[in-house]
Amino acid sequence: MGVNETLANVSSDFMIAALLIYSLAVLAFAGDFAFGRPRRAAVAVKQQTRIAELASVGAGPAAGSAVSGGVPADGPRTTAPPPANVLPSRQASLSRAINDAGNWVRVAVALSVLGVTSHLIAVVTRGFAVHRAPWGNMYEFVTALTCVAGIFFVYVMLRYRAWSLGVFVMGAIVITLGLAETVIYTAAGPVVPALQSYWLSIHVTAMTLSTGIFFIAFVLGILYLTTDVYRARVAAGKAEPGNGLLERIPSAAQLDKLTYRTIIFGFPVWTFGVIAGAIWADEAWGHYWSWDPVETWAFITWVLYAAYLHARATGGWRGRRAHYIQIIGFASLAFNILVVQVFITGMHSYAGLG
Amino acid sequence: MTDVHAPASVNPGAPPQTPPEGGGSATPDSPRRPSGVPQQKNLPLWRWAWRQITSMRTALVLLFLLALGAIPGSIIPQTGNDPAQVQQYFISHPALAPWLSRFGLFDVYGSPWFAAIYLLLFISLVGCVVPRTFRLVGQSRTPPPKAPRFLGRLPHSATYVSPLPPQEAVAAAASVLGGHHFRLRTNVSTGTTPSSPPGKKADAGDKTFWLSAEKGYLREAGNLLFHLSLLGILICVAVGGLFGYKADKLLVEGQSYADTPSALDDFYPGRLATGSDLAPFDITLNNFTATYITSGQNAGQPAAYNANVTYTATSGGAAKTDDLQVNHPLNVDGVKVYLIGHGFAPVFSVTDAQGKVVYDQATPFIPADTSTMLSDGVVKAPNAAPEQLGFMGVFVPTAVEGSGGTLNSAFPAAENPAVSLIGYSGNLGMDSGLPQSVYQMDTTAMTKVAAQPHLMFPGQTWKLPNGLGSITFVGYKQWVSLTATYDPGQGPALAFAALALLGILVSFVVRRRRVFVRAVAADGNRGSILTVGGLARTDASGGFEEEFARLAAELAGTEPTNQSETGA
Repeated sequence: MGVNETLANVSSDFMIAALLIYSLAVLAFAGDFAFGRPRRAAVAVKQQTRIAELASVGAGPAAGSAVSGGVPADGPRTTAPPPANVLPSRQASLSRAINDAGNWVRVAVALSVLGVTSHLIAVVTRGFAVHRAPWGNMYEFVTALTCVAGIFFVYVMLRYRAWSLGVFVMGAIVITLGLAETVIYTAAGPVVPALQSYWLSIHVTAMTLSTGIFFIAFVLGILYLTTDVYRARVAAGKAEPGNGLLERIPSAAQLDKLTYRTIIFGFPVWTFGVIAGAIWADEAWGHYWSWDPVETWAFITWVLYAAYLHARATGGWRGRRAHYIQIIGFASLAFNILVVQVFITGMHSYAGLG
Repeated sequence: MTDVHAPASVNPGAPPQTPPEGGGSATPDSPRRPSGVPQQKNLPLWRWAWRQITSMRTALVLLFLLALGAIPGSIIPQTGNDPAQVQQYFISHPALAPWLSRFGLFDVYGSPWFAAIYLLLFISLVGCVVPRTFRLVGQSRTPPPKAPRFLGRLPHSATYVSPLPPQEAVAAAASVLGGHHFRLRTNVSTGTTPSSPPGKKADAGDKTFWLSAEKGYLREAGNLLFHLSLLGILICVAVGGLFGYKADKLLVEGQSYADTPSALDDFYPGRLATGSDLAPFDITLNNFTATYITSGQNAGQPAAYNANVTYTATSGGAAKTDDLQVNHPLNVDGVKVYLIGHGFAPVFSVTDAQGKVVYDQATPFIPADTSTMLSDGVVKAPNAAPEQLGFMGVFVPTAVEGSGGTLNSAFPAAENPAVSLIGYSGNLGMDSGLPQSVYQMDTTAMTKVAAQPHLMFPGQTWKLPNGLGSITFVGYKQWVSLTATYDPGQGPALAFAALALLGILVSFVVRRRRVFVRAVAADGNRGSILTVGGLARTDASGGFEEEFARLAAELAGTEPTNQSETGA
């Protein structure tokens, strides 16, 4: 089957558009930090309690929705902390929260959604252009995983009102996607016989998804460490409080929770991807596990994220140490993609960068 | 040395009846025992060692070692994956290689130290998981703890007013929570739910009525299923390593082989497998075709490989044909046969000085560059007289002149095949007793017959100087390398992998939570005030507050229905 050149061109155009829109979104997020109206002192606290929804202490929004669910006047009166900031139901509060956040955020969120849409169109049309799952080489893999990261982040951002993370996460996506476009761009084409299998759309899809999700966790981990170190320095009197940038992003505890949730979402997907890869390996190479370098590094990554999950349940390993582990875990993942698959010869040498 | 720090607010010695979220050594998320609390000072050494090895900290360290130990195998060539590269490594690093070999670094995943890491890890896992399994079974038989006195202090709480008297209000709440499959304990006799021991009933009149409900035991069950399944996978891998085998065979078009150890190029039996375990099939390679993309940016990239084979499952059985392709193995006699590699086998005919044909066959050449299929190989004619003849050759499917006049290949398909040969005469050294590879030639006792390599196209003959003989490049065939594998452990391994995935999903999705209800009589004659408290023991994934709010609303909202029932 040949390549549908028209669709391939449509895909390329949308990919470039996505990159441009993302860049503008990053500018808008940055603009919010620089010029956003000084609403923070009061609003930031409130905003953080909204994010604190994930800290599972505030029964606020849920109780709110319960009330709107038609409970009579003698319905439950919650005494849950924090009693202040009882929020209206989530649906109502999302649009209000975006309004509250100011023009810069409004523009940035709109651009993010637009960019992700364009990105998704680019990935999907590429798939139709080449009649297969659009992640058959390194370039396609990176564009797809950044798309997953983008979608996942937009969801997280809207769900937890985490606008303040936009500049960091979207920034990381822009850099990754930009490097993919400039350094490893590969024209649309068919794949080698080894990849001509429906397992491509199962195994690599799972790997793409989980990589995108771990990517978010990685950025959150970096933010966590930055915030945690900064707040510790402030507490120790070594740094001046009032660092505008760090004061605005969610607290270390909230970032910690969010990271954990992201990873327990990504971990089963990664596990599934490795299992699917083993089934495919058995189908293609005759053995489900042969310690091919890429398999080995996927295993190392799995072990490191497993170590993160155990560390979180071990005294003395929570917090910073656990984050170091997951950051090393993502580093091993990135090493696998960028070094092992490109430079070390093995059965997974499909990067198409030769 | 404490692995699970109990928070300062909780006395670690007291049974944590209502531990705060995430705290306490008994919560399912931090299940490993503290390894060094004071009263264990006088433990015997083996108990102490066992506690150390089953502690979470040890597990964590072993996980790191496992990750770290796996790294060298991805960087240093491994005998299991590429023995030729290991040989090459010994040649290019003569000083270093023996040392690496001594530490098992050419076979990391079969080395004793790697085995030590994962076996310790699994011992640690068993030591942790087995007691937890018993604990879970015990927990599932004991009712939840009594409701704490001050429910308002729990992470989630709500109050509502019920028109029912306290006892009935609690009974109604019990039926609601029972309907949500909570395990219940109460000091109210409800008739449908298990009540606490009869002694409690006696003082029920002058006290408040309470209800404890717990749910989410599946979380720990999923966690245990995950870990036990990992153990199952390890056992399956071991079974495959003991009873399975791998058999390699290179076949040139027209050749066949029977699946016996002597016919195979390489046979890697498991420790408890022998040649008699081989399936009795035989396979003939009729022809092989490789198609490539011929134009555009991806020109030269393979598009499809197809090996047409005829096989019989048992000797004397019916012959069947099959198109063997990558990703489409041939299933025969419970064994899978895979198309692993392919290459060219130029056909040579060699006559010696006396005019006798001493060599006439297709000679598999090994691709040196899979993108152009430039391949190399050797032709050895030990029967040539008076001197043995040997040739080192390069085969190119599409000959072009490379830079500096070297022979190169422009395309992986045979569009303009050519060979370039360097001829040798002398002693091939094949009588020394040492086995020689058919792909290599020992030229130490040989001399070149010509200074320059000789370029030949199909049908051409090279008359060797000094009347040593001649060699004809007759044409070429293609070869495939096939691998037959048998692994009795792989089916069960897949089943355990699926169970592990199921287990981890369950343990991530389900949360262990308790809901408590206390009722006191309202100031008026009828009616009562109820306090509901909620506690998620493992709510790292969040979301309990929403469930709690729903339950609280339902408890408050379903009162009227129950009232009408009791009134009727």
